[in-house]
Amino acid sequence: MEAVLQFIAILLLMLGTFLSLVGLIGFIRLPDVYTRLHATGKVSVFGLVFLLIAASILTPLTVWKGILLIFFVLLASPAVSHSIASAAYKAGVPLADAKRDDLKSKLSRGKGKDV
Amino acid sequence: MQTILDTVIWVILALHLLMVIVAAWNAWRGENSVMRLVGLDIASTLTTAVLVIISIIRQNSLFLDVAIVTTALGYLSTVALAKFISDQRVF
Repeated sequence: MEAVLQFIAILLLMLGTFLSLVGLIGFIRLPDVYTRLHATGKVSVFGLVFLLIAASILTPLTVWKGILLIFFVLLASPAVSHSIASAAYKAGVPLADAKRDDLKSKLSRGKGKDV
Repeated sequence: MQTILDTVIWVILALHLLMVIVAAWNAWRGENSVMRLVGLDIASTLTTAVLVIISIIRQNSLFLDVAIVTTALGYLSTVALAKFISDQRVF
């Protein structure tokens, strides 16, 4: 049983690190602020949550702290992504290769000079 | 299984420190302020991940408390800076 739990924890650690690496490569390579935010969501949701599940398995007495931290990360990460994307749109950061812009008639944008 | 776990954990710690350096470089020399803000957010998330890995290595749950505080600070600072960028004022 101990060996099976350790095997699951090793698998979760490697999977979380792989997804964090994919998210960081996407953060460097993608062309736009909005697409980069799509890539950074992978780091905070998949990478950190898989590491926290592995820590809850491996370390004794940390199950409830791990679950609390998972709950808080899953609560905070979409709010952060939404606030950054909204701030970028309102400040007028241009969209790369945009086909249509549904928010153009609803929100006033800046010129993007002061960002 | 224990030796494999030790090797995997040290390799993962090195990779996460490398990723923190790359994200901090992007937060320092970004293209515009929103891009630097995204770099700051990802650097704070990866710092939390480093603290979780250290708590696995030391077998000590004290580092998870520090990780909770780091997550709360990163969340609050990122939301406040995004509000400042969009409205040019915080409150």
